[in-house]
Amino acid sequence: MHPATFPTAGAPAGRDHRTPLTRRRLVRGLAAVALAVPLALGAAGCGDDSGGGDGGPVKLSVFWWGGEARAKLTEDALALYTKRHPDVTFEKTWQANQGYFDKLATLTAGGNPPDLFQIDDNYLAEYAGRSTTLDLGSYRDSGKLDVSKFPKSLLEYGVVDGKLAGVAAGENTQGLVYNKTLLTKNGLPEPTTGMSWEEHIAWAEQVAKKTKVPGTQDPSADYKALWVWLRQQGKDLYKGKELGFTAEDVTKWFELWKGARDRGATPTPDVIHEGNSSDITKQLVVTGKSATSWVWVNQMPDLKKNTKDELGVVAYPGDPSAQWARASMYWSVFKGSKHKDVAVDVINFLNNDPEAVALLGTDRGLPSNMELRAKVSETATDPAMKQSIQVESELAQKFGASPQVPIKGHSKVKSELVKAAENAQYGRATPAQAAEQFVTACTSAIA
Amino acid sequence: MAVTTAPGRTSRTGPVGPRPTRRGAGRVRLGEGLAGYVFLSPWLIGLMGVTAIPMLLSLWLSFTDYDILTPLSEVRWVGLANYERMFTADPSYWHAVRVTLTFALIAVPLKLAAALGVALLLNRAWRGVGLFRSLFYLPSLLGGSVALAIVWVNMFNRDGAFNSFLALFGVEGLPWVSDPDWALETLMVLAIWQFGAPMVIFLAGLKQVPTELYEAAAVDGAGAWRRFRAVTLPMLSPVIFFNLVLETINGFQGFTAAFVLSNGTGGPVDSTLMYTLKLYISGFTDLEMGYASAMAWVFLVAIGVVTAVFFSTGRFWVHYSDGDDS
Repeated sequence: MHPATFPTAGAPAGRDHRTPLTRRRLVRGLAAVALAVPLALGAAGCGDDSGGGDGGPVKLSVFWWGGEARAKLTEDALALYTKRHPDVTFEKTWQANQGYFDKLATLTAGGNPPDLFQIDDNYLAEYAGRSTTLDLGSYRDSGKLDVSKFPKSLLEYGVVDGKLAGVAAGENTQGLVYNKTLLTKNGLPEPTTGMSWEEHIAWAEQVAKKTKVPGTQDPSADYKALWVWLRQQGKDLYKGKELGFTAEDVTKWFELWKGARDRGATPTPDVIHEGNSSDITKQLVVTGKSATSWVWVNQMPDLKKNTKDELGVVAYPGDPSAQWARASMYWSVFKGSKHKDVAVDVINFLNNDPEAVALLGTDRGLPSNMELRAKVSETATDPAMKQSIQVESELAQKFGASPQVPIKGHSKVKSELVKAAENAQYGRATPAQAAEQFVTACTSAIA
Repeated sequence: MAVTTAPGRTSRTGPVGPRPTRRGAGRVRLGEGLAGYVFLSPWLIGLMGVTAIPMLLSLWLSFTDYDILTPLSEVRWVGLANYERMFTADPSYWHAVRVTLTFALIAVPLKLAAALGVALLLNRAWRGVGLFRSLFYLPSLLGGSVALAIVWVNMFNRDGAFNSFLALFGVEGLPWVSDPDWALETLMVLAIWQFGAPMVIFLAGLKQVPTELYEAAAVDGAGAWRRFRAVTLPMLSPVIFFNLVLETINGFQGFTAAFVLSNGTGGPVDSTLMYTLKLYISGFTDLEMGYASAMAWVFLVAIGVVTAVFFSTGRFWVHYSDGDDS
């Protein structure tokens, strides 16, 4: 009676991607070396090249989500590690984000989780709370995991219940992406960081009137937008093991956007629903159904691939200090792994080795190592990437303190928010009813 | 796919294998028995390993707080807590039950009606009828495929093919798949459209109806409708019964299309939250596998009950012509 484990759309999982050394790779590798030599001199003592193995050949399984591009970069970086440590090879598996966590959970249940895996803040607490992830604290203390060049808040955003459950594979933050071409063509102003929510909605209304394209996606179903807004009201998504907000707060949030919908600043509910998908290709700013989308800054290059229009990105409305240096995703080690030390050494390598970091670029967000981040920023050539780096670096100066990592039950809180917000959008519930329903559902989800 | 019981009893033409004779020596029978089990073993191992043992395990898990990530050795026994929560404290569970019942109650009869109607049309000696049979059967070959569901979603989008078609007549379509009032209906249409499998079975049944009965009825002055009611339907009732049971079970188990349409969320606003989808979300997204197991077992029992009801009412309307005629 179990539904069969479902083959999700996207790249087939479980493939072993061999990476023969092609000429392109070689050239790129050489370029990376050329780039890295001066860096290595500058950052001596940063990389840990003293063998990862505890003797004997080691095969480490690595699992991540992402697209073809990320797969290639990651494989290159891991190949570089093997080059340095010929006794360590990798069993690489990757797939699309959708279905990734189902697969990871199934692998874990089957007693066969990967040694090293990518995870995000939606699930970090779930895994850490069940002791699936290794506490990396001792490696941090002994220096085997070098985090000395990490921003402090970014490192802390990997701590769950006092244990270092994951190491940021990159940093990102919320970004409001807008269609620059559309605005310029119609002689409309671009949104700016620091606009109030009211100003943002007024701006969106103006865009809608002039261009007939709804000015802004309605983000009321988007937990990250709600989160920023809550922090601006002095609240938070979570406080300890409890919700950091009340039904009244959520009512205000839903009412704000009901007002925006009534003014014609947002699309119709069915289009909003389409845009609520986590799929990059369905974001309204690239499908042309809205002038803005609410995303993460490091998604800019991916968004750009899906549209011919020029895109711009700013912080979410309101005081940008409500945003924080978020770990876009983490690397975590399975607690029962037979090769813990090697796995940690690989994380250290991916974060601190100048060549590896240069290879990986900003695909997973800005590099966590600040020194290397500066180098990567200087050498970035992709305009969309450059733009996201620039915006995030500017924002970094305004960032507030990191909130705590979302708690157990967070994934349900996210889906309940979508449900409640859509109930309000389709007019099936008043903002107050939807908010009440949401808070009730959350309370039982995190209990 | 729990029940695949044929209506049975009519299988008088079924092959009767060479039976071991009673008179055979015990030794020979033992050897044959052993060989039989050896030949059965691939299926037996599959049944035990892939179905029976996991099922029993899930029965046990339904009384625990298993969350997938915790090793099985550390799960906690929670008694009936999962069942209690399901029946008393989880409104979205009942919502899923409602969605599933609505889906099955509407889609299954319509699908069977469509299958029977087309089977009647195709049960003639027209030229090219074979081609049409294949064409109508095709959609159900694609069955629960993900690709088909994706095509369906795109067809019924606001700017999909269906709305373009409506626009030809000046009708402005709706965003069928992203409107909570229509998303489930879109899934129903998809299910109904895949009527090929029951249609083929109906066709086979229709071929079995002796033509003398129609001739006799015609001689007695029965019109087309009367012949259908008095001859076709009773003669076809075992096949109808078979299709009804099978399609009802299929209808309850609808998963793929709902999963694809809603990106695995049951949205918009839970309008496509089929029972199996709710179960999947509980188990794999919310990491409440114990709870999901409990849901699975209630589901199994519910389907069993529905099937039993069909079987118990069957004798009032299913006619087996397993007399000695012809």
